[in-house]
Amino acid sequence: MTRHGRKPDETTLSVWQVIELARHQDRPYALDYIKRLAPDFIELHGDRLAADDPALVGGVGTWHGRTTMFLGHQKGRSLKERVARNWGMMHPEGYRKAIRLAHHAAKFRFPIVSLIDTPGAYPGAGAEERGIAAAIADAVMEWFRIPVPIVAAVIGEGGSGGALGMGVADRVIMLENSIYSVASPEAAASIVWRDNARKVEAAEQLQLTSRDLLAMGVVEEVVTEPEGSARADYDATAAALDEALHRHMEALLTQPTDELLQHRYERFRYIDSLVHAEPEFGPKV
Amino acid sequence: MVVPKGRPEVRIAGSKLPDIPLPTNCPGCGVGLVIDELRARNFVCECGHHFRLGADAWIALIADRSSWQERWGDIRSHDLLNWKVPKPYQAVIEQLMEEGLNEAVRTGTCTLNGRPIWLAAFDFRFVGGTLSIVAGERLARGMEQAASSGIPYVLVSASGGARMQEGVLALMQMAKVNAAVGRLHAAGVPYFSVLTDPTFGGTAASLALLADINVAEPGAAIGFTGPRVIKQATYENLPPGFQSAEFQLAHGQVDLVLPRTELRRLLAHVLEMYP
Repeated sequence: MTRHGRKPDETTLSVWQVIELARHQDRPYALDYIKRLAPDFIELHGDRLAADDPALVGGVGTWHGRTTMFLGHQKGRSLKERVARNWGMMHPEGYRKAIRLAHHAAKFRFPIVSLIDTPGAYPGAGAEERGIAAAIADAVMEWFRIPVPIVAAVIGEGGSGGALGMGVADRVIMLENSIYSVASPEAAASIVWRDNARKVEAAEQLQLTSRDLLAMGVVEEVVTEPEGSARADYDATAAALDEALHRHMEALLTQPTDELLQHRYERFRYIDSLVHAEPEFGPKV
Repeated sequence: MVVPKGRPEVRIAGSKLPDIPLPTNCPGCGVGLVIDELRARNFVCECGHHFRLGADAWIALIADRSSWQERWGDIRSHDLLNWKVPKPYQAVIEQLMEEGLNEAVRTGTCTLNGRPIWLAAFDFRFVGGTLSIVAGERLARGMEQAASSGIPYVLVSASGGARMQEGVLALMQMAKVNAAVGRLHAAGVPYFSVLTDPTFGGTAASLALLADINVAEPGAAIGFTGPRVIKQATYENLPPGFQSAEFQLAHGQVDLVLPRTELRRLLAHVLEMYP
């Protein structure tokens, strides 16, 4: 796992520095990886109900000789594109598109790769009016029924329910300088202190770095980034991510479907079993 | 669906509702409150204002007298992340336990008009009714047992969302309980959700809105992002009644908005209709 000669424990960044790397505007976004993993990628649009959500890209491409469904949050780089992509914050239509494309993948037995990079679901009135809570709830429940292998990778920000709505998978991995959290540090500070200026303190308590999540057993692997982080070398980062995604996917492709779905259920059902201290509490119902 | 109408139900079964802290005057209409009169109307003022109930009151309201059997009441939350400020999480939990509360979700079996059900009730007084590892564990275990035994599952929610002090593991409870909800649906077991004030965040975006029938209490605030955060993030002006139960009914998110005084009658009726 040291394709670029670095070990993950060499970093001495503070939690807030990691968050800044995860959010950096020059950090590679989902399409930067998808175009490197599957140069023949065809984007497919729309939820077939009302709209297309540009904060989530989805489509098919050939990856290691196999047609694969790619899904990913897409932030914009220019201001214009950021506005168009809504900073990678999905509306209800995005989750409905994701599930539509998941069923599409299931029909053709295409495996699914999901790249997570969002501050959270869109916190606006329109999203509420069109049922963002139910859209996320439905998506999270539906992912457990999708009968093809799913590997997810957090490539930047894994923000709250907006990320989890795309994060139910058979394996979940993280890039080294990405984060995954119950809420953004700003939102957590706003909830706990009623003051989002306390974001650094909140961040330090939330345990949201890739190493924290690996230690908690929430993710299977941390993929190391090149010297200077992912933005220093898109090709090397994409190659490392490709290798890890493919290694996990290969192991899943041979599993019978009922076993795959049972393991996916158990992965989340007992996801907290590493950390609790109560002897009675755990995967023994 | 037609709900049998009648006089607002005065409590005909179940136990006496416990006291709840009440202001001297109703925030809805300003009238002075008499606790025993209010208790007889399930803590609904004559003006229609619904006072928030704790899990103990919900259990007393829904379960037939002496039928409640609490399950997994002994599993406890711990401070897993070493959360120290502004208040040490471990001390917060211990203080709430000393006050007689037992986590943000209590679950167990009971009967309703003689029919066995699984019942889970959130308690907003326990860290804002937040979804924690223990809450998720109690919910998921009950749903798994309901799915395998074919007993209907009734949920009463009142929750701010996932519990910040348990970090990403609290977020993962959404996936854990939704997977279990999926098992209820796959097994053809009825699932009824009662959404009360307030139901937000990770609780609204998981089990609370995934039932076969979602019933909301009048005036309850229900949504994903709270209004304060929406205003901070978008500077949008939110119309009156935004995220109310009636708003969610108009936007297709809940099946019914029903006064608490008629809830038990509805549940008894649907339990007969959905065998």
